[in-house]
Amino acid sequence: MSLATKTPPAPASPPTYHSPKPPLWAVIVKWAALALVVVVAFYLATRLADEGYGLYIVILAIVVMAVLVVYSTRRSIPMKYLLPGLILLLGLQVWPIIMTVSTAFTNGQTITKAETITAIERNSVREVAGAPRYKLSIAVKEGSDVATGNLFFLLTSPDGALKVGDEKGLSDLPADGVVKTDSGKITKAPGFTVLNARQINARKDLATFAVPSTDGSGIKAVGLSEAFEGRATVTYDEASDTLKNTATGQVYVVKDARFVPQDGKGQAFPQKWVENVGFKNFQTILTDSSIRSGFLKIFAWNIAFAALSVITTFILGMLLALLFNDERLKGKSYYRALLVLPYAIPGFVTSLLWASMFNQDYGLVNSLTHLDVDWLGNPWAAKAAILIANLWLGFPYMFLITTGALQSIPSDVREAAKIDGAGPARTLRSIIMPLLLVAVGPLLIASFAFNFNNFSLVYLLTGGGPFDSDNTSIGNTDLLITYAFRLAFSGTSPDYGLAAAVSIIIFFIVAIMSYAGFRRTASLEEVN
Amino acid sequence: MHKRVIGAMAISGVAALALSACGGSSTPSTPGTAAPAANDTSTSAAAPKPSSTTDAPVRDANVDLVIWTDADRAPTVKKIADAFGQEQGITTSVQIAVNTRQQFKDATKVGKGPDIVVGAHDWLGELVQENTVAPIQLSADTASQFSRQSINAAKFNGQNYGVPYAVENIALMRNTALAPDAPKTMDELVASGKAIKAKNPKVTNVLLQQVGKVGNAYYTYPYMSAFGGGIFGASADGGFDPKKVIVDSKGSVQGAEVLAKLGKEGVLSTNVGDDNAEGLFDAGKAPYFFTGPWATTNAKKANIKYAISDLPTLDGGGQMQPFLGVQLFYVSAKAKNAAIAQEFVTNYLTKKDVQLELFKALGRPPALTAAYDEVAASNPDVKAFFEAGKDSKPMPNIPAMNSVWGPLGQASADVIAGKAGAQARFASAQKEIVANINKG
Repeated sequence: MSLATKTPPAPASPPTYHSPKPPLWAVIVKWAALALVVVVAFYLATRLADEGYGLYIVILAIVVMAVLVVYSTRRSIPMKYLLPGLILLLGLQVWPIIMTVSTAFTNGQTITKAETITAIERNSVREVAGAPRYKLSIAVKEGSDVATGNLFFLLTSPDGALKVGDEKGLSDLPADGVVKTDSGKITKAPGFTVLNARQINARKDLATFAVPSTDGSGIKAVGLSEAFEGRATVTYDEASDTLKNTATGQVYVVKDARFVPQDGKGQAFPQKWVENVGFKNFQTILTDSSIRSGFLKIFAWNIAFAALSVITTFILGMLLALLFNDERLKGKSYYRALLVLPYAIPGFVTSLLWASMFNQDYGLVNSLTHLDVDWLGNPWAAKAAILIANLWLGFPYMFLITTGALQSIPSDVREAAKIDGAGPARTLRSIIMPLLLVAVGPLLIASFAFNFNNFSLVYLLTGGGPFDSDNTSIGNTDLLITYAFRLAFSGTSPDYGLAAAVSIIIFFIVAIMSYAGFRRTASLEEVN
Repeated sequence: MHKRVIGAMAISGVAALALSACGGSSTPSTPGTAAPAANDTSTSAAAPKPSSTTDAPVRDANVDLVIWTDADRAPTVKKIADAFGQEQGITTSVQIAVNTRQQFKDATKVGKGPDIVVGAHDWLGELVQENTVAPIQLSADTASQFSRQSINAAKFNGQNYGVPYAVENIALMRNTALAPDAPKTMDELVASGKAIKAKNPKVTNVLLQQVGKVGNAYYTYPYMSAFGGGIFGASADGGFDPKKVIVDSKGSVQGAEVLAKLGKEGVLSTNVGDDNAEGLFDAGKAPYFFTGPWATTNAKKANIKYAISDLPTLDGGGQMQPFLGVQLFYVSAKAKNAAIAQEFVTNYLTKKDVQLELFKALGRPPALTAAYDEVAASNPDVKAFFEAGKDSKPMPNIPAMNSVWGPLGQASADVIAGKAGAQARFASAQKEIVANINKG
C-alpha cells in the first residue's frame, strides 16, 4: 500500500490493462522462436519449390505472415491464443474437407492426359525383332563437360564390332586404343570421356536420348551397360486426338477419360486421366439401382446400430458408475481402473479378438455357452455380435463420463430428496437422471455420430458381411461408411470420386441428426 | 505441409469428417486406408489382415538408388543393394514400406516414390493403369534364363515390367505323423483323412483350407482349374482378357460342385479362415492343409513333421492347379535414378548369386532356373512346392482381377456352406463380376 501511495496517479486515460514489461529472457526466447519459425518455413519453401508446389508456398507464406503479425506485436492478445488452434483447424479439418469436396466433382483420377499419352507411348516400345543387343558405355567428347556435353553411345555388338552413336546416327568406332572389359563393355576410347554410374545418372536427358536407326526405331540405353534397338508401337496423333497401334493398325479414340478401340474390338488402354465430371458422382448415387437398393437397408441398420450402441453402452456404463459411486464400496479406484481396461486396448486388436471369439466352431463364445450360433454367418446373429463387441468396447467410456457427471451432482440435492421421502428409485428417476443427462447428453450425441461411422469395428469384425447370395456389394452389417468403401474399391480401379461423394452425403446425414440432437439437449437444459 | 495424393486425401477426408462429428469417441481408432484384404492374397494369404496405417517412408534424397520393400525382405535387399552400390561406386538406400503396394502408388504419383519397388506380380495391371511403373527391356537371352511362367507373369499387354526373383504357389502340406503317405486324389485324401480323424480324438479336421465367411477365391481357383475352368480366358497377346470371364463355364461350375460336396461332408467349412487355419494345423488337429511356403516357418516352430506334395486330382477332372504368384522388382515410372535402377534390375538381379541370396532369406523357389536347380537339389520343400505349381498359370495381373476377389470368394463360401447351388451361385457371381468390370 505504501508503494501505491508514493507512485504518481495514473495518466488521465481510463484504467486499461497494460501487461508489465516482460523480462529480457522472455523477449529473447520469443524472437528466437519467431526466427526459428521463419527459418523452418524458408527451408520448407525451398523444398516445396524444388518439388514444384507453387500453391503450397503461397499458403505457407500466408501462415508465416499471420504468425509474425500476431506474435511480433503486443496487440491482438486473443489471437495469440487462437492462432495455433486455427492453423491446426485449417490444416487438419478444413483442408481435407476441401480436398474431399473437390474430389467428389472429378472422376477421382490423378494423372493428366498428357502424362497418360507419354506413358502409353513409352510402354509401347518393343525391341525390333532380330536387332542386336549392344554392350553400352555412355560418353562425351573429350574435353567437353560431363554434365552438359553431347551424349555418345559407345557400343559393342554381339559379334564384337565397335560402333559409336549420337543423336544423328550410328557409325563405326576405330578399334585403335579402345579398351574393353571381358564382357565387351568399352572402358576407354580415344577422343571420348566415358561416364561413370553417377555421371550417367545425373544426365536426365538420357531418358529421351536415342540413336536413330532404320525406319523410326532407335537405339536406347537399358541401365548403364546395355543398349537395345526399339520402336514405339503406339503413336499419338494430336490432330485427331487418337492413338494408333502401328503393328496392328488399331485406332484408339477418347471415351470416358481413356483410350478405347475405335471399332470396339480388343482391349482399351487401362490408364485413365483426371476429368471434371460435375454432379455425375452424386447422380450415380441417386440413380444407380444397386446403390439405391442397398442404401435404405443399410441406412436403417446404420441408425439402429448407432442408436443401440449408444443406449446399451450408456445403460451398462451408467449402472456400473452408480454402483461404484456408492460410498460404502471399498477399493473403488482399483475396480475403476479394471473397468477402463477395454478402453485402453487398441480398438482394432479387440475387434480381431472378438472376431475369433465369435467363430462358430472354434470360438470362445459358442464353447462357453454351448450354443451353435453362426455368429458371423447369420445376418441377425452377426448384427448381435457387432453390438456385443461394441458394448464391450464402448461401456468404459460411458462409465467414465457418467462417473464424472455423478460426482459433480451435489450431495445436498440427494439429501433433500431423501428428506422429502423419495426412495432410491425415485431419486434416480427424478433427481439424478435429469441432472446426469444434461451433463452427458451432448457426449451421447457425439458418441452416436462416432458410432454412425464406426468403420474399423465393422471392417475388422465382419467386413460388412454376411452377404446375401447374389450381391457382394451389400452386406448385412454394413454401415454407410463401409459400404461406401466397398463401392469405391470393388470396381476394376478405385473410384475416389464416388467415395468422396458418398462421404459428403454421410457427412450431411450425420450433421443433420447431430443438429437435431443438440437442439433436444439444449431444450433439456432450459427445462432445468 | 503434409501432402498426400488426392485419393488418400479423400479417405482421410472421410476419416476427418467422421472425427469432426465426434467429440468423445468410444474407440479411439480411425479407419485405415488399407486396400481390400482380398487383393493381398498372393503374398499374405496366411498373414494377418492389414490392421493400421503406418506412414510411408520418406524418400532419402541424397542417395543414388532408393528401394522400397516390406520388412521381411528389407535386410536381404539391403545386403544386395549395398553390394551393387560398392560395385558401381554409388550409395543406396533400402526403406521399409509397410503397406508397400498402396504407399508406392500414392508416393509415386506425387513424385516421392522410390526408384525400385519389390512386389507381387498381380499388382502389375494396377501399377500400369496408374502410370507408376516403367517397362524393363530384358534381352531375350536374359529372359530365357528364367522360368517361362515367371517371365509371362511380369508382362502386361505384351510388355515386360518386372524382373522376377521368386515364385510361390500352394500345395498339399500333410502332417506326416498322422498321414505318412501323400494322397493322389481328393477321394483318397478325404477317405484317409476321415479314417485318421476317427482314430485320433485330437484331430478335428480332415483338411484345412482357408474359406472364411466371405470365402477366398485364391483357394477356390484350383478346383476350377482342375476341370479346365478358371477366371479369365486368354487374350490375343497371351495375357488375360477381362472381357472373357469364365467363372460360369462348365469346368468352373464342376469345380464348384466339388466344393459343395466337400462342404456338405464337413471337410470344408466357412469357420476355417485366414485367422485359424495355420494354428489348427500347427496344433496337430488336421492331417492335410492346402497352403503355401509361408506356412512352413510356423510349422517348423511348432515341431510339426510335415511333407509337401502336389494338390490332388479331382474325380472326373485333372489335377488341381494352383495360382502361381511371382515376386518381382519393379522400376518406378518416375524414378529419379532411372539409369541406375534399370542397371540394377537388368544386370544385377539376374545373377545367380543374387537370386540365391534372396532365396536364403525368403525360402521361395528362385525364378532364375540356374538358381532354382541349385536350391532344389538340396531342399525338398522348395522342390515340392515348385513341382506342385510347375504346370500352373500365373494369377491374372490385369486390373479387372480386383473385381473378382469379392464375388468369387463369396460364391465359394456360399457353395461350401450349402446356402446356394453351385451352378446358380457361380452364374450370379459371373454376372456380378462382369458388372463390376464394366463399371471400369
